Amino acid sequence: MIHKLVLTCVTLFLVVLFINSMTFQEPRADLTYVNPSDIHTLDPARISWVQDFRVALNIWEGLTTWHPRSTEPIEGAALFPPEISPDARTYRFTLRDDARWSSGEPVTAQDFVRGWRRAMEPGSAGDYAFLFNDHIVGAAEYVRWRHDAIGRLTSLDRGGRPAEAEAFFDEHAVELEARFAQVGARAVNERTLEVTLSGPCPYFLDLVALPVFLPCHPSIELLRERHRGRPLTPAGLVVYDPQWTKPDYRRLGYPGLITNGPYQLRDWKFKRRARLAANPHYRRADTFACRTVEMLVYDNLNAALMAYEAGYVDFLPELSVPYDHELARLSATGLRRDIHQCPVLATYFLNFNCVSETVNGRPNPFVDPRVRRAFSLGLDRETLVKRVRARGDRVARSFVPPETISGYAPPAGLLCDPGEARRLLSEAGFPGGRGLPNIIVLSTQSDERMCQAVARMWENELGVKVELQTKETKTFAEDKARRRFFVARGNWYADYNDPTTFLDCLATGNGNNDSGYSNPEYDDLLRRAEEAADAASRAAVLARAEALIVERDCPILPILHYTEPIAIQPYVTGLSPNARLWFPFRYARIER
Amino acid sequence: MTGRLLRRLLLGIVTIAGVYTLTFVMVISVPGNPLQQSERNMPPEVEQALKARYRMDNNWIYFGQFLKGAVRLDFGPAFTYADWTCNQILMHSLPVSLVIGLLAILIAVGVGVPAGVLGAVYRNSWLDGAVLGVVLLGISLPTFVTGSVLLTVFAVYLRLLPVGGWGTLAHLPLPCVTLALPYAAYIARLTRMSMLDVLGSDFIRTAVAKGLPRRVVIGRHAMKVAFLPVVSFLGPATAQAMTGSFVVEKVFGVPGLGQHFVNAALNRDAGLILSTVLVFSSLLVVFNLVVDLLYAWLDPRMVDAL
Repeated sequence: MIHKLVLTCVTLFLVVLFINSMTFQEPRADLTYVNPSDIHTLDPARISWVQDFRVALNIWEGLTTWHPRSTEPIEGAALFPPEISPDARTYRFTLRDDARWSSGEPVTAQDFVRGWRRAMEPGSAGDYAFLFNDHIVGAAEYVRWRHDAIGRLTSLDRGGRPAEAEAFFDEHAVELEARFAQVGARAVNERTLEVTLSGPCPYFLDLVALPVFLPCHPSIELLRERHRGRPLTPAGLVVYDPQWTKPDYRRLGYPGLITNGPYQLRDWKFKRRARLAANPHYRRADTFACRTVEMLVYDNLNAALMAYEAGYVDFLPELSVPYDHELARLSATGLRRDIHQCPVLATYFLNFNCVSETVNGRPNPFVDPRVRRAFSLGLDRETLVKRVRARGDRVARSFVPPETISGYAPPAGLLCDPGEARRLLSEAGFPGGRGLPNIIVLSTQSDERMCQAVARMWENELGVKVELQTKETKTFAEDKARRRFFVARGNWYADYNDPTTFLDCLATGNGNNDSGYSNPEYDDLLRRAEEAADAASRAAVLARAEALIVERDCPILPILHYTEPIAIQPYVTGLSPNARLWFPFRYARIER
Repeated sequence: MTGRLLRRLLLGIVTIAGVYTLTFVMVISVPGNPLQQSERNMPPEVEQALKARYRMDNNWIYFGQFLKGAVRLDFGPAFTYADWTCNQILMHSLPVSLVIGLLAILIAVGVGVPAGVLGAVYRNSWLDGAVLGVVLLGISLPTFVTGSVLLTVFAVYLRLLPVGGWGTLAHLPLPCVTLALPYAAYIARLTRMSMLDVLGSDFIRTAVAKGLPRRVVIGRHAMKVAFLPVVSFLGPATAQAMTGSFVVEKVFGVPGLGQHFVNAALNRDAGLILSTVLVFSSLLVVFNLVVDLLYAWLDPRMVDAL
C-alpha cells in the first residue's frame, strides 16, 4: 500500500511540474512597474481607468499628447499646433511625415476617423463617447439616429416582425455612410484631418490626447461582425471581436494588435504581466533608455510594496495601502525621498439629495438649500482631512482643485461656522436639529471612517441624528443612482484640464448629477461660458457658476482634493510626479 | 462497481445542476448591472441592444443559453475584463490554482504524516510535545498571518525567494507552504491519533513479539492501517486546497482562480461568476470521486464504500 501511495504522490508531483513548466519567464525588463488590477480593456473606445490610460497612451499616440510634467498638450502624431480657424471652430491637423504604425505603414488621417467613428458608436458603449457628441459638429445627431435605429430594430425583433426588421436593417445600413459624412471629422487627404466643432472648445487640444480619440489600424476591420453583408450586427450595433487588442491574436488574417505609439504591446498574460517593447518605427525610438517595460499585476498592493522594497519593482504608480498615512508622513518629512505625493485633479465630496420628496418614506429636508448650507457650514474639513484621513490630501472648499488648471481660480467656498449653521437650521424650521428625520448617509466600506467622523461632527454641532448606511460598491452605485439617500459620498476625477470637467456634472440632466441639482441660473452661466469671447471672461463666468454650488445652493459639499502617493526608485529618472498620473516611459532612464 | 460509479457520477451532475441554479438565482436577484462597468449611466437603447446581444434580456433564456454553452465548454464573454473570454480567464488561472493546491497537499502529507508518526511513537516525550505545539499553531494561525510572516522573512529580509507573483519555480514555495500548513497540522494530528490506536492493537504486539525490528513494525504493519483516515481526509482537502486558496492568492499576488471567484461577484460579472462556480463545483465533485476510487485501490476492502 505504501508503494502505491508513493506512486500516487510522485505522479501528482510530475503533473504539477508539467503544468508549471507551461509558463516561462523572460529576462527582467528595463523598467518594471505594478498595476494592481491588470488592464481592464485596451480598446481605446472603452478605456476609462487611469491604469489602462497609462498603457494605451504608451502604445498609441493621439493627435496631441500630454507633457510629462505640466500635462499641457504637446505634439503627438500631428504637427503642433494645428491650424485653427479664426472662429475657433475648425481644426486642421497635419500628421507628421514620420508617424508610423508598428507595422511600418504610415498613419493616415483616415485611421483617426476610423478610431473616432468606432468610439462614438453606441455599441462600443464607451464612457467617453459623450465627448464627441458634446464637441464635434453632427456627432450628436448621428449618434441619436443610430440609437433610434438600434432601438427600433430591437423592438421589431422582439415584436416578432423579422421581415420588417430586415427591411429596416437594409435601409439603415445603406444610409450609414451618407449620415456619417455629416459628422465634422473628415480626412481631407492622407495626412490632413479636419475637425469641425459645434462651438469653441478652448481645451480641445487637451481632449484629443485622450484614448477615446486614438487612431485605429485598418486591420481591425477584418474582425468586424457582419450581417447580410453589412458591417452591423442584426441589432444594428457596430461590434468587433473583442480579442483584437491581443498582440498574438490571429483570425481571418488579422495580424495581431498594431499601434502607433512609442511602444508596442508584445505580450499580455491575464492577471500576470504585460510586456511593452520599443516600437522600432516610432521616431527616435533608438534613443529610449528603457527598451522594454514590464507591467506586473499584484492584486495586493502590500505585496507590491514589498516587491518594490526588495528591488524587484522600479516604480509604483499607485500606492493605496492601509498604512498610506504613514507613507505620507515619511514622504512629507523627507525620510523617504522615493515616495512622492501627487496632487491630482480629483475631488472627494458629499452629495445632498436635492430632489427626492421622500427617502425610504422619510421627508427629505435637503430640498431646502438652507439645510444644505447649514450641513456644509457644520463640518470641520481641516480635521477630517488632516486628522481623520491624514494621508496628505488638500482640504477642499471648491469643487475644482485650486492652482491646478492654469487661468482658473475657483471661489473661496465656505468655512466651518457652526453658529451660522445652527441659525440657518432654525430658520429652515429645525431649531437645534429638532424635527429632522434621521439623516441617511450612504457610503462604501472604504469611506466608512470618514463618514463616521462626518456623522459625529454633525451630531455634535447641529444636534441631528445620523444613520450611516455602508454598502458594497455596486449596491451603493445603484442606491445612489436611484437617490435612496439624504447624503451620499461622491468623487470625481477630471477627464481633461478644464473646470467644466467638474462643473458640467451639476448641470441639469447630466448623467453624473447624483444630487439631482437643477438651477436654470447655473445652467445659463455654463452656457454663457461656452460663448465667452476670451479665456479670462470665460474663467470668470465659470467661477461665478462654481460659487453657486459651493457657496450658495450647496448641492455638494467638497471635502478634499486627492493627493496620490507614488513610489519611484532613486535610480529611476525621467518619470515625473504629475496631476494626471501620466507617465510616458520613453523618458525614463535607469541610472544604477 | 460500474453501477456504483455511474450512480456517483449521476449524483455529481445533479449536485452541479443544483449549485448552478442556486447561483443563477442569486446572480439575477442582486442589484447592479453586469454590462455597466463604471458609475456613468448607459443610454437605455444601448443597454437593451447589448443585453439582447448577450441574451441577458430574458433571465430564463440566459439561464439556458449559458448552460448550453457551458456543456460545450464555452462560457462566453467576461464583462469586467472585456478583452478576455471566461474561457481564457479560466485557462490562465485554473492551472495556477491546481498547481498550488496539489503541491500544498503533497507538502502537507510529506510533513504531516512523519510528524504524526513520530508524535505517536515517542508519545509523551519532548518530540511529541513539539509536534503537538506546532500542530496547534498550524491549525490556529490564519493563512494571511503565516503568509505575510513568511513573505517578510524569506522574500524581504533574506531575499531568498521573490515577493509574490508567478512564473518560475521560485514563486512556488512560499504560497504552497503557507497553504499547506493548516492541512499538514491537521494530517499530523490525524496520523498521531490513529497511529496511537493502531500501536495498541494485538497484531502489533504479535509483530513485536515475533522480534521484527521496530522500523518494520511501524513502517510496514502499523502505517497501512493508520494511514486510512488520512486518505479519506485527503479527498475533500485536495479539492478545498485547489479551490479555496483565495487568501493565499491575495497575499502572494498569485493569479489563481480564487480571486476571480470573489472579484467576479463584486463586479457582478454574471458570466464569470457562473463559470467559476461551475468549475469549482465540478472540481469538488470530481475530486471526491477520484479520492474514493483511490481509496478503493489502496484498500480493496473499501470498494463497498463507493
